[in-house]
Amino acid sequence: MFDINATDAAPIWRQIEEGMRRMIALGALKPGDTVPSVRDLAQQLRVNPNTVARAYQRLTEHGVFAVRRGEGTFVADEPSQPKRSERNEVLRDASVRYASSAIAVGASLDDAVDELNTSYDKLVREHRRKV
Amino acid sequence: MNQAETPAIRIAGMTVRYGRRVAVDAASLEVPRGSVHALLGRNGAGKSSLVRCALGQQRASSGSAEILGQDSWKHRTHLMERIGVVAEEADAPPEMRVQQLADFNARLYSRWDGKAFDARLDRFGISKQPRYGDLSKGQKKQVSLALALAASPDLIVLDDPTLGLDVVARKSLFEEVIADLADRGTTVFLTTHDLAGVEAIADRVAIMNGGRIVLDEELETLKARFRRIRFSAQPLALEAASFRTALVRSWGAGTEAIVSNYDDLTFERLRSSATVQSADVSAMSLEEIFIAVAGEGTKS
Repeated sequence: MFDINATDAAPIWRQIEEGMRRMIALGALKPGDTVPSVRDLAQQLRVNPNTVARAYQRLTEHGVFAVRRGEGTFVADEPSQPKRSERNEVLRDASVRYASSAIAVGASLDDAVDELNTSYDKLVREHRRKV
Repeated sequence: MNQAETPAIRIAGMTVRYGRRVAVDAASLEVPRGSVHALLGRNGAGKSSLVRCALGQQRASSGSAEILGQDSWKHRTHLMERIGVVAEEADAPPEMRVQQLADFNARLYSRWDGKAFDARLDRFGISKQPRYGDLSKGQKKQVSLALALAASPDLIVLDDPTLGLDVVARKSLFEEVIADLADRGTTVFLTTHDLAGVEAIADRVAIMNGGRIVLDEELETLKARFRRIRFSAQPLALEAASFRTALVRSWGAGTEAIVSNYDDLTFERLRSSATVQSADVSAMSLEEIFIAVAGEGTKS
């Protein structure tokens, strides 16, 4: 599935939300697919079930997941993508942190861009392998 | 107040004295229902005394302790039915076989769930034949946990549940607790030194130091307000920012500070002050926060 880093500054529910969106964006989870139950995912990631429930609730509210009563939770038929403005905001926040780390260790902009390319490719490849 | 609003545990102004020594000093603490609350502290911080008094196994010198809305000392017999406890030194008669222990417990608890007990032992890979005294330390803990959960408690209290367990046993113990939480919404109150293990499952964290509760809040809030800041100037530069510091020390030619009320704007003010050439901020794990708050020679 994906990994949770409990020592990360980002709250765990946000990491789960992001992980799910990433799986959908990369095609590892497709529209109509069943998503793991809260209980199973909590046990698998070894996190508090309330935290998983919180992430699922947000994903449902945002139209990424759909709940069918009595059947469970599914990826929505047309999972909504974040709005352009939201996407830009997320990218800006994350890039400020990344740029700050890069400058702190004395990396050039080219070095930083190379690393970003490598990580992007690696994540995409890893997901493809799991499909 | 209705049932849903009374916390699973409420401790108010509790003091525990042993002769002239004060083990618990005016401690107050609340464990909301359905939460996972971790009580952290170094050895001798007063955790075990606090837990014993909370459970009504020992009487506090002053102050009060309530469980599920009832005084835990006065109603301790009645409350036993609704609380599962896994003690630090998990203990049962060594001559009794696991099956006999289960039968004995089944008679004690009206909500005993024998199927859940059997299923857990299966997952742990423990047979019901051996005598309790012949089990390994880890197996004893697992049997105690299975006994405690099979009674379908509203609240489960774990006193250092992973002490002396290897990585695999630790993982399976936390997984059982997580599964029970998801299935029945049991409230969990635990003391632990396994900060990495508890970081992903705790909703709330309290830290005890020298008998006092120095903090008790949501883990997410705690992690949002603590940050490590390193900057290329003397500690004096901190005066430009209104940070509360848990620790300040020199770091290379500059300064390292651990702040307990971090926000981005104040950090920008520090970074842009005249004497500071560069400043860097990093998030902290629960373990790092714990060391900063309860470590030697620091003030919180």
